[in-house]
This record gives sequence, C-alpha cells and structure tokens, in this order.
Amino acid sequence: MPTILYPTRGGRSSYPNQERVFTLAREKGANLLLLYVSNVEFLGMVARAKVVDLEEQLDNMGEFLLAMAQERAAQAGVKAEMLVRRGEFRQVLSEVVAEYTVDTVVLGAPSEKTGLTTLDFMRTLCAELSAETGVPFLLVQDGEIVETFTPGEDARQNVEEPRSDTGV
Amino acid sequence: MKPFRILTILTLWILALALWGAQTPPVRAADPHGFAYTLGGQVSDPQGQPIEDAHIALYRGHDTQPIAETESLSDGTWQISLSEIPSGELHLHVSRAHYQEQDIPINGALVQEWRASGSYVMEALTLERRVTSGFWAATVVFLGVLLLIAFEKLHSTTAALTGASLIFLVSYFGSAWISPNLYIITFERALEYINWEVILLVMAMMIMIAIIEDTGIFQWLAFQSYRISRGRAWMLALILMALTAVASALLDNFTTMLLMTPISLQIGVALGINPLALIIPEVLASNVGGISTLVGTPTNILIGAYADIGFTDFLNYETGGVLMALVVMGAFVLYHYREEWHKAGNTLSPALYKRLQENARIEDPQALAKALTVFTLVMVGFVIGEHVGAPPAVPALIGASALLIWLKPDVHHMIKAVDWTTLVFFMALFIVVGAVQEVGLISVVAVAMSNAVGTNLPLATFAVLFGAGTFSVFIANIPLTASMLPIVEFLTGNIPGANSKVLYYALSMGAAMGGNGTLIGGEANLVTAGITAQTDSPITFKEFIKIGLPITYLTLVVGYLWLLIRF
Repeated sequence: MPTILYPTRGGRSSYPNQERVFTLAREKGANLLLLYVSNVEFLGMVARAKVVDLEEQLDNMGEFLLAMAQERAAQAGVKAEMLVRRGEFRQVLSEVVAEYTVDTVVLGAPSEKTGLTTLDFMRTLCAELSAETGVPFLLVQDGEIVETFTPGEDARQNVEEPRSDTGV
Repeated sequence: MKPFRILTILTLWILALALWGAQTPPVRAADPHGFAYTLGGQVSDPQGQPIEDAHIALYRGHDTQPIAETESLSDGTWQISLSEIPSGELHLHVSRAHYQEQDIPINGALVQEWRASGSYVMEALTLERRVTSGFWAATVVFLGVLLLIAFEKLHSTTAALTGASLIFLVSYFGSAWISPNLYIITFERALEYINWEVILLVMAMMIMIAIIEDTGIFQWLAFQSYRISRGRAWMLALILMALTAVASALLDNFTTMLLMTPISLQIGVALGINPLALIIPEVLASNVGGISTLVGTPTNILIGAYADIGFTDFLNYETGGVLMALVVMGAFVLYHYREEWHKAGNTLSPALYKRLQENARIEDPQALAKALTVFTLVMVGFVIGEHVGAPPAVPALIGASALLIWLKPDVHHMIKAVDWTTLVFFMALFIVVGAVQEVGLISVVAVAMSNAVGTNLPLATFAVLFGAGTFSVFIANIPLTASMLPIVEFLTGNIPGANSKVLYYALSMGAAMGGNGTLIGGEANLVTAGITAQTDSPITFKEFIKIGLPITYLTLVVGYLWLLIRF
C-alpha cells in the first residue's frame, strides 16, 4: 500500500489542506504518515537559561495535534500513523523520506495572511527536496493542489494558481 | 550526600550569611582616642547629592605633603583627626575625579575656635562637575550598549560586557597613554556599583523556580481551567490570565510562559478557536502580574535592592494598581477577541481528552508538596526578614538550599538552570551604568528632568511612568531600569513628597507595562511567539501590536490613576 507523507502543524487553518490530503489518500488507496517537526532554535533569541525541557513540551503538543488529525483522517476513512521529530524542518523531512518508504510528500503552504513563509519559499523547498529525495512532492494551499514536483522533470506542472487573498 | 551537593549548599549558606553581615555598614569614623582635634564636614554636588570618595587633604602653607588626609564617606561626610593643630597658614584641598578641585583657606578665627573646642565642623562644600573626555567616552559607550541591545546587534550580555571592558580600557590605558582626562572609573570603584543583593536573589529564585516548575503544576492548573470553563472560551481566557498573572507575581513570567504556551495551544485547538485568543492575553497578563511583588520581575528586584523597597511594600503599594490594570485588560481582551468566543465548542473525543489530561499531569506530587511548602516559607521569610534587617536574598538563599537538601534534585541540572547569562549581564550592566553615574551623565539627565517637572510630584510621576513605559516598548526594560534608578533617586530627593518612593513604584509599573507594547518588548513575548510559530497560529509582530499597544497605554493610565489615589 502506498504511503503519503504529510507534515502538518495541526489547527483549524490546516483543515482545508488536511481534507485535500485525505481525499488524495482515499483516491490512491494510500496510508498517511502524519509528521510534526518542532524546532527550538528560537530560544537562541533570548538570553535566558532553559529551565524547562521545552522540547518535551513541544513533543506532547505535536502528538496532540497529530492525534486530532489522525482522528479526522479516520473519520474520512483514511488510516494514518503519527511521527513527531525534532530539528530543522528541511533536514528532518529529508531524513524521514529516506527512512520510510514514502511514495508522495504533500506539503501544505500556510495561509498568506498568517503564515510566516511565502508560497515562493514553499515552491523552492518542494523542488529542491523532490530532486534530492527522488520522491514526488505536491504543494497544496487552501485545500487545492498548487503545484506538483516530479523528480527528474525540469518543467513543473501548474495545476492551479494560488488564491492570494484567502487564508488556509 | 555527594561532595558537590554539600559544597553547593555550604556556598549558598555562606553567601546568605555574608550578605546579611554586609547589611551593617562598616564604621569608617576615625578612632578619636589619641587625637585631640578633629575637623569635619560634608561634600556634595550642586544638586545636593553627597559625593563619596572625595579626597580631602589638610596642608600647611606651601608644603607639598599634607598634614592629614581622608576620603568622604557615602553620605559625603569626612573627618580629619590630629593630635595637635600646627601653627601657620592652613588650607584644605578637596579633589575628586570628574569634579573641579577646590582649595579652601582655613582662617585664623576658625583655627582659634577649632583649638578651643577640639572639634570643628566646616560649612558644606559643593564641588562643581567637570566635563572631561572621560565623560564623553563613557557616554558613547553607554549609548552604544543600549543601541546594541535595542537593535539586537549583539547578545545583551555580550554588549554589556563589551561596554564594561571598553570603560576599563579607556580608564586605564586611554588615561595613561593618551590623556589623563580620559579617566572614567577605577576597577575597584566599578565593583562597588555591582549590586550583589540583586545577583544573589535572582540566583536563588532561579533555583527554586527550576524545582517548582519541573513538577508540572502550571500545565495541571491550565487543564483544570479548561475543565472549569466547560467550553466557554471567554471564561477560560480570563481564568488563564489570572493564573499567569499570579504565577508571574510569585515566580518568573518567562518560565511561566514557556510552560503555559504549549498546553494553552492544545486547549485552544481543542476548543476550535484561534489559540492566540488565549495565549496573547496570557503573556500580557504575565508581564503585568509580576509588578505586584518584589520577585515578580527582574526590574522589581533591581528597584527593591536600590531603593530599599521590601516585599510587603510592593504588595501594599502596587497590588491594587495591578488588579485594576488586569480588570481593564480583561475587558479589552473580551472585546478584542469577541468573534473567537462564539466559535468555541467542545470537540474533543474521549481519547483526545485523555491525551490532553496526560500532557497536563503533575509529574511528581510529593516534590510539588515539598517545593510549595518551602516556597511559602520563603515568602513568609521575605516578610519577617524586613523586621530583622535581612534582605530578601537571605530567605531566598536559605529556601534554595533547603530545597536542594530536601528534594535532592540533580545539582548539576539545578546549577545549569541558574541563568548565568543574565547574572553576568546584570554585573556588566551595573558597571556601565556606574561609569556614567561616576562621570556625571546621570546627573545631567536628572537635572534636565528635574527642571522639566519642577517640584510637581504628579507630573514627575507621570513622566517616570509613561517615560519608562514608552521606552520599554522598544528597549529591554532591565538596562532601562538600571539607568533610570539614579535619576529617580535624584528626583525623589528633590521633589517634596516624593520620599514616599512613589517615583520608584512608577518606574516599576512603567518598565513592566511597557513590555506589552510590542513583541520585542519582553523576553516572555519573544519565547511565546517562538512556540506559537511551531503551529499554524504564529504570533506575528502586527498581530501582537494590535492588542499589545492599546493595552500598554490603557494599563499605564490605570497605573497612573492608582498611584495618584494611593499616594
């Protein structure tokens, strides 16, 4: 059975993209591998000792957010596994693709209203990772597939132009 | 018991006893036995502030060697003792770095009176300030440190350490090789500006916080708030605000937000609302809640140690204002997020509810009970300590060592939990601020501010409160408070009625409330934003400022009204 890897940060604004991934999984008869990646590099911004094991707190939070997504997947008739990892997102994603037998990776582009990354950044990330891992990447935003990235193919296939005025 | 643990506990006890002992100032008056004649007086600056370490030498005629010499004490007083008064013309030479020297002849009538009575107190001497190259060098270094911290060009500790190093470089090598006028401060004098009470209190509190917060109490309380609110998001927001305000008053808002943010995010997502409607009010409340106690904010610790304001003083004079500010803040939060409250619904399955409960469990109930017992005793110690002359650092150090003995945590972990970076930052900052005090920059600013507000106490209170509040929006409030303390001291000494210390309370409120203005206003804000960036509900600069800035000025107005009522 094919496996779709879907990194997510949970929450209400991720729901449209999650729905799209569930539909894809159903269409392909695939299992879902839900991934949450935490990164505590931001603590370097502050000059305080790290009394609290924040990574453990974030692991708990990630597991909870993924458990919510897992329940939603089950309701949509899709079997989903959860994976919580720590580190820099790009590197972790690359490692997980290499570690698991992944057939497709779906990345959700965050809303342009609230997201901290741009769609262009996500496009570049997908293209690079697809070439690096040899796995096709799908970029989704607002529940629609924005672009597909197939390894070895220079041309990208635009499926739908993103709607810039709506949030996820 | 491991030797390392014994050593740590012993060190803490010795530090506590040393600190207590240090409270009794050493008597520097000369022993009068054996001296038949004493001459004394007082040295102050043009604003009437006493000058310490002024060199006073008594000369006869054109002699190059003084007959006797001494240095003024911290209250500006000095005393010269002689076994006999020499004949001939006498004169006093008074000198002090960064002040103009004075030569005062001692006339025959004065000598006669001195000889007749055995002791004579001269009229108070006033030394005029002298603006030297050292003044400008210290000013440039001080402003440079503030700018480096404000624009985050260097880590705040690195910036302060660099500033302190430059002060010494200019003082020693610059004054030796380039011009003596570059002299700023001696190393020994700079060390006197380091407030060890602050350093030790912060250190002891860090150890206790590390032990208490490891127990999971705050996550558990957040989950209980969720249960009590029964899906009513507006009520949950208010309960969480109250919880973080109290936690920040007793502990530390930075660590409190580290613990509260992940669990609050989960609760917000579980309720189906934007989690920021819970988290931003929490961080705003945490910045204000700390104002009401001595240990609630690092700035209060600084102010308390500098102005001798105790634990009960902060409670008595600021809690009312904090409560009023929290009520106004709560009302604004309810209005600002009014659309979110309608979205709330209890969507959690039993399995997810159980998982959330698991994430919010108390890790070690026994450790929690012990930690809370000791912490309560420390709070009582703060109050009792005021009656026996023990500074707050003493009960805090005793409490920290008691917890280390009773709970036997991993001492290496506890010592790592001490925020040495901040402590070093404090020490270096004290030196830099001490340098600009020494050269007279603080006096210049204080005089300018005093001229602006005159003797109008309400106006001065307004200026300090809103000035500190506005500056804290953009720059870190610790260096701001450290720089403003000598100014507030000056104003307190010159404005009638200000000896109630109202201006210090205004500084305490302003520095903390201003931290709510922007995302960069406080470290708790930054770390909370960092955690929310791990989800699809990140706090952006714009999002924060939309609620933070109005709340800053609303709470400043409330704080001002409170101070007017209370004083």
